[in-house]
Amino acid sequence: MAKLTNLNAFDIISLSSGFDLSGLFVENDEKKEVQFTSTHTFSSITSKLGDIAQNLKLKVKKQGGLMKMEGTSGGRKGALAIDAEIFEFTPSFHLVELRKSSGDTLEFQKTLKQDVRPALKDIVWAWQGQPHQQS
Amino acid sequence: MGCFHSKVTRQHPGHEDPVTLASQTAFSVSEVEALFELFKSISSSVVDDGLISKEEFQLALFKNRKKENIFASLIFDLFDAKKKGIIDFGDFVRALNVFHPNASQEDKINFTFKLYDMDGTGFIERHEVKQMLIALLCESEMKLADDTIEAILDKTFLDADINQDGKIDISEWQNFVSRNPSLLKIMTLPYLRDITTTFPSFVFNSEVDEVAT
Repeated sequence: MAKLTNLNAFDIISLSSGFDLSGLFVENDEKKEVQFTSTHTFSSITSKLGDIAQNLKLKVKKQGGLMKMEGTSGGRKGALAIDAEIFEFTPSFHLVELRKSSGDTLEFQKTLKQDVRPALKDIVWAWQGQPHQQS
Repeated sequence: MGCFHSKVTRQHPGHEDPVTLASQTAFSVSEVEALFELFKSISSSVVDDGLISKEEFQLALFKNRKKENIFASLIFDLFDAKKKGIIDFGDFVRALNVFHPNASQEDKINFTFKLYDMDGTGFIERHEVKQMLIALLCESEMKLADDTIEAILDKTFLDADINQDGKIDISEWQNFVSRNPSLLKIMTLPYLRDITTTFPSFVFNSEVDEVAT
């Protein structure tokens, strides 16, 4: 899977939560995407995401810089599918974006809260909008 | 039938009517009315004066009125087209219009250029980009070595600054964005497509009925 390494300064600047106006329209727990930073390597992150996909019975497809995780069972608005995009700042600092690509947003948020976030605990430096927790 | 209009102009200074705003933007009259519901809730959250202050903007974006963020400030300043330090309903609708999925690329490109040209000189200068880059790293609680930051800036300017004068003008920016379309990702809000369902406004509030009679 290719990682996005050719980030120019504006690619990086665009990642700011200050540019994310979705907060005007929805509460945090209604958003369709979340970001987190990680001090782990690219392969460590993809491996962890792969484990999570497996536990959630999501099929993984790699498409360029995107890791697509697709469910097969129909939810309220069709099967849940999540895209993961990994941006490299340095080989040991990455920003990961998890986006709902189809399915119900509420289900996406529930899956994040119950399954994804706990499983990512070891590799997450900080979730977007929250300070780094010293553990 | 005059209830909406007179109540609104009393509470919302300089309120422009939905039909005019719809004609100036990609929004329909019902969408403008839905945006008004959203505007009312944001503009009354700290002080109920029919205007969005920077604090109210921060509260809406971050759910925290005290959270200051250089990028949110830059966006606020662009919404505040009349440079009064507040955003009125017309400003709100006209600015959000640029974020509509159907708005023109040209409008989106011009908006981002004005955003990054922090001091409004008509050029995006290296020191401005450096300042924003450092602010982003700070926001992500991340440190990069100075020479890594300089290397990122060098690469960016090599790519974008075609005449190599140390700054990016609007035509260089247009060229750069056409080669890197993901830079406009921040300029589209898919939520604007569902605005009438997210913020329903009641039929008897509609000014359209008034105009039709």
